Amino acid sequence: MRGRSPTFGAALLVLAAACGSPGRTPLVIYSPHGRDLLSLFERRFEQLHPDVDVRWLDMGSQEVYDRLRSERANPQADVWFGGPATIFARAAQDSLLEAFRPSWAGAIDAHGRGPGDRYFAVYETPAVIVYAEQALRPEDAPQDWDDLLAPRWRGKVLIRDPLASGTMRAVWGMIIERGMKQTGDTAAGFQWLRRLDAQTKEYVLNGPLLDQKIVRQEGLVTVWDLPDILLNRRDGLQLGYVFPKSGTPVIEDAIAVVRGARHGAAARAFVEWVGSVDAQLVAAREVYRLPARRDIPADSLPAWAREVRRRMRPADVDWDLLAGQGGEWMRYWDEHVRGRGAVAR
Amino acid sequence: MTARERGRVLAAAALTLLLAWLVLYPILLVGVDAAHGDAIAAFARRPGEWQALWASVWISLASVALAAAIGIPLAFLFEWLEFPGRKTLGSLIALPAVLPPFVGVIAFLFLYGESGFVARAVQQLLGLAEPPWRLQGAGAILLVHAYSMYVYFYLFTRAGLAKLDASMLEAAQALGAGPWVTLRRVTLPLLRPSLAGAALLVFMTALGSFSAPYVFGGGFRVMTTQIVASKLNGELALATVETVALALVAIVALALIRRTEGSDVLFALGKGIAPRRRQLRRPAVRGLAAAAGWLFAFVLLLPHLTLLLVSLVPYGTWTTETLPPQVSLVNYQRLLAEPDRLAPLLNSLWMAAASTAAAIAIALAAGALVRRRLPWRWRSPIETLIALPWALPGTVFAIALAATFAVHEPLALRWVLVGTVVLLPLAYVVRNLPLTGRAVLAGFGQIDPALEEAAASLGAGRWTAFRRVTLPLLKPALMAGGSLAFVAALGDFVTSIVLYTYDNRPISIEIMSSLRVNEIGVAAAFGVILMLVSAAVLGVGARR
Repeated sequence: MRGRSPTFGAALLVLAAACGSPGRTPLVIYSPHGRDLLSLFERRFEQLHPDVDVRWLDMGSQEVYDRLRSERANPQADVWFGGPATIFARAAQDSLLEAFRPSWAGAIDAHGRGPGDRYFAVYETPAVIVYAEQALRPEDAPQDWDDLLAPRWRGKVLIRDPLASGTMRAVWGMIIERGMKQTGDTAAGFQWLRRLDAQTKEYVLNGPLLDQKIVRQEGLVTVWDLPDILLNRRDGLQLGYVFPKSGTPVIEDAIAVVRGARHGAAARAFVEWVGSVDAQLVAAREVYRLPARRDIPADSLPAWAREVRRRMRPADVDWDLLAGQGGEWMRYWDEHVRGRGAVAR
Repeated sequence: MTARERGRVLAAAALTLLLAWLVLYPILLVGVDAAHGDAIAAFARRPGEWQALWASVWISLASVALAAAIGIPLAFLFEWLEFPGRKTLGSLIALPAVLPPFVGVIAFLFLYGESGFVARAVQQLLGLAEPPWRLQGAGAILLVHAYSMYVYFYLFTRAGLAKLDASMLEAAQALGAGPWVTLRRVTLPLLRPSLAGAALLVFMTALGSFSAPYVFGGGFRVMTTQIVASKLNGELALATVETVALALVAIVALALIRRTEGSDVLFALGKGIAPRRRQLRRPAVRGLAAAAGWLFAFVLLLPHLTLLLVSLVPYGTWTTETLPPQVSLVNYQRLLAEPDRLAPLLNSLWMAAASTAAAIAIALAAGALVRRRLPWRWRSPIETLIALPWALPGTVFAIALAATFAVHEPLALRWVLVGTVVLLPLAYVVRNLPLTGRAVLAGFGQIDPALEEAAASLGAGRWTAFRRVTLPLLKPALMAGGSLAFVAALGDFVTSIVLYTYDNRPISIEIMSSLRVNEIGVAAAFGVILMLVSAAVLGVGARR
């Protein structure tokens, strides 16, 4: 046992260090927004509220929902910050969210406001077609969704695993709803997805690996969300993007106070601040988030955001239908379309 | 029954209940929860589910076969032959054990993936237009499994061979058996407990393996990835049924393998000396053996070196080149400069230390009771409960634990522990029980009770005898089991992802979220640190 006592001492020291907490109110945030945005917001919010200690955990939005559900008996999070409004809607149905109406609620479009003030959109996240800039000229990249089915992209398309991604679920939903509008049935949309599956080289498990694989030219084109691409371009990754001509799904990226939050006052203050004009502009200028507020004067937005607002054509997506049917559609896709496209052709 | 015997039986009953509460109870609750007709029908109806379950089983069996095919010959080579560099190589070869699960898989991707070094090098060498292969599907999963799991066979077989009695082999030879017959009829039966132990460990690890199928699986589904997909799609009842199905497969396998394990009495009898290593005499053969050994060790260490290299690549600078164009320490600086990045490392260290200490304490109590002071009928339930966590894939156990401790029903022995810092270390304790339990029970089996009796007859009390005689004799077993448990808890990913909170977020979660936001270099730097700590701890544990 002699050999173990130093380990024990070290363990005790570490334990002591881990337990020491300052006298500030902790504010726990579950968020998929990533370190860039979260550490920036931590600094800014703590400057305004020196008595609050912002603590964030970075995870996928689906995972946030999962954790809130399993922690229902003893909620750990105070704020859920980020993720498609469709997932927030499910959480609201499960009574996982607290009603809170921030002062800026009126500046958000009606479809970005959750029923019963359970959640509100703060950013808009458009999906875009992405290509390897080192390998393709902008005019050679696919310009619209249907271009992805052209023979020259066979085996060159990479797709983020759509089951685990809110962005991809929205794109799939748009395709299926588009087919329903034309034919009244989901079959047309699934047939389109089957043809895309035949073009697809690989379904990639997360966004960063997807970006890496495109830059390393394992594939040349993909579909992904704009803020991630803009951040990557800032950091030197050679990724180009195109707004699909016929329109693109624009995901409402929401925020909510968690039901039973232990630091409710701080949580409400944080939500109030994230939607403030100041915080919306900080997010736009420094981490490429497109503000959801409609009352921000265009000339105070950074150039990229004005450019995006001008060029982007939001597709007409029935989000309620997607929220209701999305799970069913994704399961059908997973069982009957994934990996079957080449066979069906 | 004397008062002392009653006391022992009470202690044994208390220990059995404690273990049942920790190990069995959560799983039973999940099982009861899963008994919904709809979800079971949905599971039975879908061909995809059966395919995934079958894939889990055959991938695990194939992993056992591959790991055995690599690990066992290596163990014989290093235990029976003498050649230059044998000792150093012998420990280098165990190093795949310290590659952390998730980053290890990423290292494989950078190394053997279609745009990794090896593929790029082959492509350039042969002047191919396309990458020569793609790392995907069942083959890729098996490659990773064979690489990371042969170590169990290697270590267990070496330990078994070291304890082999040369006199038995000589007796076989004297009775006219040739080398093959001796191997088949004497050596292998004597090794059976070691081989069964390794097979069990590999099968269970492969069955519960998540990272490799998740990253390399593509359209190929196994049960662990299927559970996650169901959860993501909001089909919770189905996910529960899948969880129970996987647990059932694991429990059947545990029962089957334990049956073939035999008893370890043979070990205790062996008091002879291990066979002497054969010197390779011809210089050419010696040189060849040494060269082959070093080459093999180099191949085995390639993923570690890849991880080190990736940790030195600044963000976004490495794209289509075979080797990264620039290297620097910037990732390590970022890691050390920000205090909230350091916290996960400290969290992992204290949780691994605390859970290892607790798992060792339980194992000691079980060992002392089962092997010394109790009638045999107590032995089986306690030993089974200690081995059972091996049979439960980490995800399964974590989900069960989270569900069990999400309600406040003190009468049902359930408290709200979800969201507190204690739940994750508690899970580590249970997950580590088989490692410490096995080591300690085997250790007790090798101590001659006569030594303790001698201490007693010399006037030592029970406590003194335990402290001065038994513990020192157990030290190698404690160190070995403890260091393995510590390293397993330190690198754990599958249990942690379900149970962590802000205050105890461990290093594997930080690696995962670094990967999520594209900081592959930082993730690799974390991986390198984890690897170094693990190697140091295992090195200490292996010292006799």
